Amino acid sequence: MKNLLIKEMRLSAHVLSYLFLAFSLMALIPRYPILVGAFFVCFGLFQTFQNGRETNDVLYSALLPIDKKDAVTARFIFLCVIQGAAFLLMAGLTALRMVFLAGAAPYADNPMMNANPVFLAWVLVVFALFNVLFAGLFYQTAYNFGKPFVAFIIASLLAVGLAETLHHLPGLAFLNTSERLPLQFALLALAAAFYWLATVLACRKARRRFAMLDL
Amino acid sequence: MTPILTVEGLTKIYPAFRLGPVSFRVEAGSIMGFIGRNGAGKTTTLKSILNLVHPEGGAIRYFGMDLAGNERAVKQRVGFAGGAVDYYPRKKIARIIDVTRRFYDNWDEAAYRKFMDAFSLDPQKTPRELSEGMKVKLNLVIALSHRAELLILDEPTSGLDPVSREELLDIFTALKDRGVAILFSTHITSDLDKCADHITYIKQGKLLASGKMDAFLADQRARGAGNNLEEIMLHYEKEDFREKLAD
Repeated sequence: MKNLLIKEMRLSAHVLSYLFLAFSLMALIPRYPILVGAFFVCFGLFQTFQNGRETNDVLYSALLPIDKKDAVTARFIFLCVIQGAAFLLMAGLTALRMVFLAGAAPYADNPMMNANPVFLAWVLVVFALFNVLFAGLFYQTAYNFGKPFVAFIIASLLAVGLAETLHHLPGLAFLNTSERLPLQFALLALAAAFYWLATVLACRKARRRFAMLDL
Repeated sequence: MTPILTVEGLTKIYPAFRLGPVSFRVEAGSIMGFIGRNGAGKTTTLKSILNLVHPEGGAIRYFGMDLAGNERAVKQRVGFAGGAVDYYPRKKIARIIDVTRRFYDNWDEAAYRKFMDAFSLDPQKTPRELSEGMKVKLNLVIALSHRAELLILDEPTSGLDPVSREELLDIFTALKDRGVAILFSTHITSDLDKCADHITYIKQGKLLASGKMDAFLADQRARGAGNNLEEIMLHYEKEDFREKLAD
């Protein structure tokens, strides 16, 4: 698996998958739907799938002396590495906003989503949607990525819309503040469990699908 | 002696095409020419024996082992080169090799350098900077550097100029003399006249013949089908075309 991961990072990955980590910095933008940053990180990962198709990555991998299905697992691990890096960056910026910049004018009066544990929970939900709807469905063919990407776009934009709406509803204003932090961290833990479970299940299904494919 | 590759009763069914049953065997130190018209099922056969597509029936054994359940071990000892396929066209060859060699237990760095030098391949170039012939040579370098005992080549000489084709055929013959087995699919029959000692011929997915080249040619001569592979192919394929026109 280590060698496959090296292959993912040195041959398969598109440079934009790394560069788009910079969209994690959107967590600092005030009065902006900052969850879109998670979408852009996924868009960078999409480039690796597109690049893989153009460079015969699937065929190259299938001809290596490996269990073919492990190529799928390596791709999912790569997704988790990039998403993990983005999450850590966003978590750091969220801590910065909550601890040192909480009183700063643009953040104090922010009608859009603030960076807090609930924001980080939504980030994991968007990443999970990418892993299930895009990566999972991609391995139905290991070639067509149009429909999976459209499915991800729709689902992730709905998630962004929901995240931006919920804290305006009565009783849910705390979702956009630094209040009730234990509950916020509980929601973050729930999202982390959801991310992990969704990714593992999507990977398992993608492995099965890929094994059955005629390349 | 155990054959390097044994294919028995291979069948693959697509909605508009049926392959097989196809059976043949490839011995060590031999070149098996695998011929048939475009669309006859050559690539489907090769993909089946590389486990890239899933056949409906048949058995595939390498080195006496079933492919199913031994894919990793088998692929350590087999190399594949497709004429038209190139991987990571914008990555430097040095990087592709550096990643690829990690997967092979028998990677021979000295052999890699020797073949790169012999084929005049520059590791600082990218595959997209190579001619079609050089791309085939790059795939051969990878296969030979992990000491592949069987090379599966899908139309490696298609699109090459006569000089490059001649060079490749010389390489194949030299490899055969070193004990490497080669399964060589092509529709350019003149290439096989020069180097193949065994032949498998499929037509519209059906196996027409498989065996030693000399015996095949003698048999076809006796039937009046022709004196060389090209004449024999024309005899069978044109006959079919005439029948279709007459219908």
